[in-house]
Amino acid sequence: MATIEQQRVGSNGAPVWQLLVWLGSLKFTLVALLLLLAVVVRALTLADGFTWWVAPPLGVLALNLLAAILVNPLFRRQLPLLLFHLSLLALIVLVGVGRMIYLKGWAEVSEGAAFDGQLVKYEAGPWHSWALDRVRFVNERFTINYAPGPRRTTTLNRVRLFDEAGGSRVQVIGDDRPLIMRGYRFYTTFNKGYAPVFQWRPDAASSPVTGDVRLPPFPGEALRQHTSWNLPGLAEPVWVQLEFDEAILAEERASVFRPPARHHLILRSGERRFEMKPGDQVRLGEAGLLSYQGLRTWMGYNVAYDWTQPWLVAAVLLAVCSLAWHMWRKYRQRSWLSSADNRG
Amino acid sequence: MEQEQLILWIALVAYVGAGCVAIFAQVMKRRPERSVLALLILGLLLHTLALALRWERLGHGPFVTMYEILSSNIWSLALIYTLASLWIRQIRPAAALVMPVLFLMMGWMMMTNPGGGLLPSTYNTVWLYIHIGFGKIFFGSVLVALGLAGVILSRALAGSTRFARMPDNVSLEELAYRFLMLGLIFDTLMLMAGAIWARDAWGRYWSWAPLESWSLMTWIFLALAIHLRLTLKPRHTVSALLVVGVFALGFLTFFGIPFITQAPHKGMV
Repeated sequence: MATIEQQRVGSNGAPVWQLLVWLGSLKFTLVALLLLLAVVVRALTLADGFTWWVAPPLGVLALNLLAAILVNPLFRRQLPLLLFHLSLLALIVLVGVGRMIYLKGWAEVSEGAAFDGQLVKYEAGPWHSWALDRVRFVNERFTINYAPGPRRTTTLNRVRLFDEAGGSRVQVIGDDRPLIMRGYRFYTTFNKGYAPVFQWRPDAASSPVTGDVRLPPFPGEALRQHTSWNLPGLAEPVWVQLEFDEAILAEERASVFRPPARHHLILRSGERRFEMKPGDQVRLGEAGLLSYQGLRTWMGYNVAYDWTQPWLVAAVLLAVCSLAWHMWRKYRQRSWLSSADNRG
Repeated sequence: MEQEQLILWIALVAYVGAGCVAIFAQVMKRRPERSVLALLILGLLLHTLALALRWERLGHGPFVTMYEILSSNIWSLALIYTLASLWIRQIRPAAALVMPVLFLMMGWMMMTNPGGGLLPSTYNTVWLYIHIGFGKIFFGSVLVALGLAGVILSRALAGSTRFARMPDNVSLEELAYRFLMLGLIFDTLMLMAGAIWARDAWGRYWSWAPLESWSLMTWIFLALAIHLRLTLKPRHTVSALLVVGVFALGFLTFFGIPFITQAPHKGMV
């Protein structure tokens, strides 16, 4: 947005100056705003990858603001107006920088397990300085309360954070209280579910490996509690399904998300089918031994990184305050009543 | 709940009475501004009591269900218009144009379910109140501007003798755009507070969700209207139509988008 005053520019007739005058004019602001409006209208019909569409109109607006600040003598006389335009310019620059350094991702961490620095999916700006491998925390346990319906209410996730010196501390996060480490913000989400824990020994000579297999979110995909994964040393993937009868989340009363009291797994490997309860073992392949150790839960986290956000807030506040200051001075000097009404 | 509903009904009757008296006065060329203001203040007091009783009963503010959103916005719009009328006497006759907008919202509210809703856990933040507060001042300012623009358009359509006791179109347009400027400031603050809340609730300050896009469209159109008037100096009727456009876009953003979006925040303010 350029000046909201009538513009009086210098009489310098140099072509570069004339170009700057035109670029800093209110009419050019109108063009830039119309362009931005058109792009935002387009946003309603586009899904992902839209953000870069905003770059050209914001670039045009930045050019308009810069030119207006350079050529408009009003800015040298009116400090609030200058501050307003500088803060708008800073806002646009910060939005641009934010798009270069941001990270938006998704992580899943099982109960009792440590975050391993890996994201299930993510998008990041080209200048993002990856430091997720230095974020160390353990998802100790979580509670998600449900009101009748069932409708999700509060999420309380107890996490243990580890610092560089080897010390640790416990923090409870959830809903609008994220875990913040090294600028990364981890938010609990409604996506959570069950994760059967297995121990796998490919042959008698190998050491056993323990790990969990995260099933699709619950209750979002309650009827699709199955998945398949590859075991080291097995040619074919193994398919597993969780089965239980009880209603975890009640319709008529308040309830809490938890593992089922009684359950079993259906396991398929090739043509073979098994039913497994905690403690059961099955032989797979030539000499492999798979034991089922029990059921855990997993929590899905939104991961966000963007250090520009507090500065954006500061820029907006400065813009609003300086605009209010400018308008207050302007309106105080001049009555809204026209000269004809004033006479009346 | 019955007592709360009864108080709300009496408040709505007072609002309707204020609007009817204002419209009747314009038709009959009378000056009942004090009666209109008295009825508005009575309605506001009762409405405040009804909202407080509901807040106490449900344990959360009136911003979860459509019924609550409409009720709290009727209250805030009536409050801001009343304060503006108390402050600037010359705009009082515009109640004849402002109140029908509230009638529309009251009728809509009557058709919605008055039952309570569950407050989502992400709404448990002070930023919600800041965001909503700024939003209400923004929309209230635009409503006052709409009333003034309505007077200009009425004069264009039905002759300059309409609202004869109000200032001329030059003054009304200037005042309408001062209220739009106030609206721009609070719209900006609303977007900022909403962005902070969104970051705390969902980890991002902007995601091009339908409501966010519509809010930004409203902000850009508001800025565009102010710039257009300063730059091109259009006729009073065109300036007034721009104000109507800003209000219409704001109305759609506040009350229309909740019907079409599946985003986490559905415009429940």
